[in-house]
Amino acid sequence: MSPEQSRQSPRSGARALEGVRVVDLSWVRAGPWGTRILGTLGAEVIKVEWPAPGSVHHNDRYTNTGRPEYIEPNLNNSHWFSEKNVNKRSVTLNLRNPRGRELLKRLIAVSDVVIENFTSRVMQRWELGYEQLREIKQDIIYVSLSALGHTGRDHPFRTYGPSAQALSGMTFLSGLPGEPPAGWGWSYLDDTGGIYGAIAVMTALHHRHVTGRGQHVDLSQVGSGIALSGAAILDATVNGRAMRREGFPPGNRTHWPGTPRLDNYRGPMLAPHNAYRTAPGGYNDWCAIVCRDDEQWRALAGVMGDPEWARAPRFAANDGRIEHQEELDREIEAWTQTLEKYELAERCQAAGVPAMPVQSNEDRVTRDPQLRHREMFTELPHAGLGPMGYQNLPFRGSAIETSSRRAAPLIGEHNREVLCGLLGLSEQELGEGYRDDSIWPEDLPIEPYLEAEAAAGSGAAS
Amino acid sequence: MTPGGPLADLRVVELAGEQGQWCGRLLADLGADVIKVEPPGGAPERRVGPWRRDEPHPDRSLSFWHYNSGKRAITLDIESAEGATVLRRLVAGADIFLETQPPGWLAALGLGPDELRGADPRLIYCSLTPFGQDGPWRDFETTDLVQLAAGGQMAQCGYDEEDNPDAPPIAPGGGNAWHIGCHFALVAISAAIVYRDLSGEGQHLDVSIHEACSLTTESAIPTYFSTGRVVRRQTGRHSAWSMPRPRTQYLCKDGAYINAMFNQRISPERVRIFAEWMDEYGAAADLLDERYRDARVVEESQEHIAEVLHAFFPRVTAEEACRGAQERGLPWGAVRSVDEILADPHWEDRGYWVDVEHPELGESFRYPGIWGLYSDSPLAITRRAPLVGEHTAEVLAELGLDAGEIESLRAAGAI
Repeated sequence: MSPEQSRQSPRSGARALEGVRVVDLSWVRAGPWGTRILGTLGAEVIKVEWPAPGSVHHNDRYTNTGRPEYIEPNLNNSHWFSEKNVNKRSVTLNLRNPRGRELLKRLIAVSDVVIENFTSRVMQRWELGYEQLREIKQDIIYVSLSALGHTGRDHPFRTYGPSAQALSGMTFLSGLPGEPPAGWGWSYLDDTGGIYGAIAVMTALHHRHVTGRGQHVDLSQVGSGIALSGAAILDATVNGRAMRREGFPPGNRTHWPGTPRLDNYRGPMLAPHNAYRTAPGGYNDWCAIVCRDDEQWRALAGVMGDPEWARAPRFAANDGRIEHQEELDREIEAWTQTLEKYELAERCQAAGVPAMPVQSNEDRVTRDPQLRHREMFTELPHAGLGPMGYQNLPFRGSAIETSSRRAAPLIGEHNREVLCGLLGLSEQELGEGYRDDSIWPEDLPIEPYLEAEAAAGSGAAS
Repeated sequence: MTPGGPLADLRVVELAGEQGQWCGRLLADLGADVIKVEPPGGAPERRVGPWRRDEPHPDRSLSFWHYNSGKRAITLDIESAEGATVLRRLVAGADIFLETQPPGWLAALGLGPDELRGADPRLIYCSLTPFGQDGPWRDFETTDLVQLAAGGQMAQCGYDEEDNPDAPPIAPGGGNAWHIGCHFALVAISAAIVYRDLSGEGQHLDVSIHEACSLTTESAIPTYFSTGRVVRRQTGRHSAWSMPRPRTQYLCKDGAYINAMFNQRISPERVRIFAEWMDEYGAAADLLDERYRDARVVEESQEHIAEVLHAFFPRVTAEEACRGAQERGLPWGAVRSVDEILADPHWEDRGYWVDVEHPELGESFRYPGIWGLYSDSPLAITRRAPLVGEHTAEVLAELGLDAGEIESLRAAGAI
């Protein structure tokens, strides 16, 4: 049997990034999301944190989003933190302390990749800009993920997801005409920025494989977002057409009735093309339905039971349906409100009409048969949280593993393994780091699982 | 510095529709030689607007231009035996095959992953489809909108219920279900490239757009796993189950919006900085008062401070609000449209725009963009999108077909 045939699950396999060591200085979302991808693909991701009370890493681990309400918050029990930091190791180092910084440099010297998502000049201030990193490790791959990049007059801009989306044009794409932008209900550009970070690391690894050389990849989250409006940008640069105009953005439609008929930058101009209310009328009881052509329209009419209104000649062709969209959508919605959203979508799909229910987070976990079949979720144990669900990567490879293996590390969980095992510190030197503010913050109680190593070399140890 | 991007040594054959063309474009930006295979007459994506001067034409679709710049293109009827043979030869000389056909369709033509990988074990065969290669929804028909419904995007985007109780869930525009799928297809391909460098082995990648969309919803799934709560839509900010979060989007003097998140724990120092700024517009109200130097007073006056800030926005433009805040260390962003982005000199400083020549029109046009600055292997848009069948003869000649063979393929209608 080939290794492919002997696999236990389509998501198991070899580690694509086996032997790649990543020093992860990132925080909040974009950077951690990128290194989460690298870790799931088998890279050894070492997350460097400084959990002093009030510090960014401390706050990151205390975020209340996604923490069971009955749990008293601590550094090790945010599921939100755990989910975005699967398959990583945690080392605590104080980068404002000379000894902490020295240990970081020793770690970089035996690593392949350094990745961070600070604002544009933080690494230079720490004397860890690309030139200095190269002195530590000649072929290092350094990926920086900032809002507007490290060059350009506005490089110091700082953003969080929604303001990055605002600056990139992504927010403007979303909403109903004549209303404020609806924007994105999550940090889309943090996710996307992290994905580009992972792509930058892997493509630079290939370049290093071919040439033997490392490099600095300077990514801008907002810049990655701007390119996602490419057709609209060309409509401006080629046709001189402004995006701020009547009827744009057209909600879920491709064209808003009663406004000039201009492109919507989502794909072909079609009707029906909308979200419709379904039974029993709850908050997320909606179904999206699209007819790509007249044939699909006739098929949809058949699913609806060939009602009299749908036979009117004004609806026979796409142009007519776009022109009479208000009436069309009203009639369709009168029908959709009689059916439950999954049932509705199944009936449309059986006739070859593109339709899917609007799925909430709960729907995707508990009702979506496809995600379940494809093993998109996996349950992992965690010392601080207990067993809980986690997401896998959205693809399978016939040779490689794409599922999450380990929940996030406890704070400092890998201090001994990395600092002694990899960097060769003695037990005593490690213990000293817990007392001189380089490996553990002076003003933070030592976690029980670190007490033994923290005591090494002090009188208390023997 | 090496000329060409980090993938300059790789060749890609792309048999991809609207779901996958962005992935091919990113591979071309990264330096790969991307050969797009289209059916005779050209790909359906050439019939998607907007068009140059609003004139529909297969070589004038601006959408096609954007998603296919940097590629070469051949036309090929792969459903004919001759066409399938040409595709097989083409893929045999390539590193990566990217396809978005319905599951099973290529296998039925003898062009499935087993056949093509059997001929070349180093091949990376990437299938990018709406739901993946198996499962109950495998054969469902989708569009960008329909994927955003199923993927969870729509359930998270929309309006505050008290402002707009009748608003539907909103699917943001721009074709982002396809973008999300393409981004993860590129992650999968990049990982497979690194794995092949190490092991010498190619593989079949089975990428699901639905899984990619579902994963790209930030805290929604972890929120359900850890709290069992359903998130609700909020205008211009994160969906959440704990409603409502403070608003973040405000109308400014020029009719544009600012996305302005207030830190819940605004410090007295920050209140002073803002009050001095607002005072320049006569809008500081009482915030310059001595008592706001006391952290406790500031803490207790959060609502009042927020009200004063809100009253300030109608006195400045969104850009003034954004720059003023950034200069004072707050991460606010103007809700820009493409019009303002093109006018922003920052992107020019960064070499973001590329003026791409269109020799067939005798003009060049400004494209986005160099999305990453690779210091040793710079990205580039090396050419405009191909015309229909522009490189058919050139590519077939590279495969070693002679003029006679090319002519007989043409006569058979295969190219």
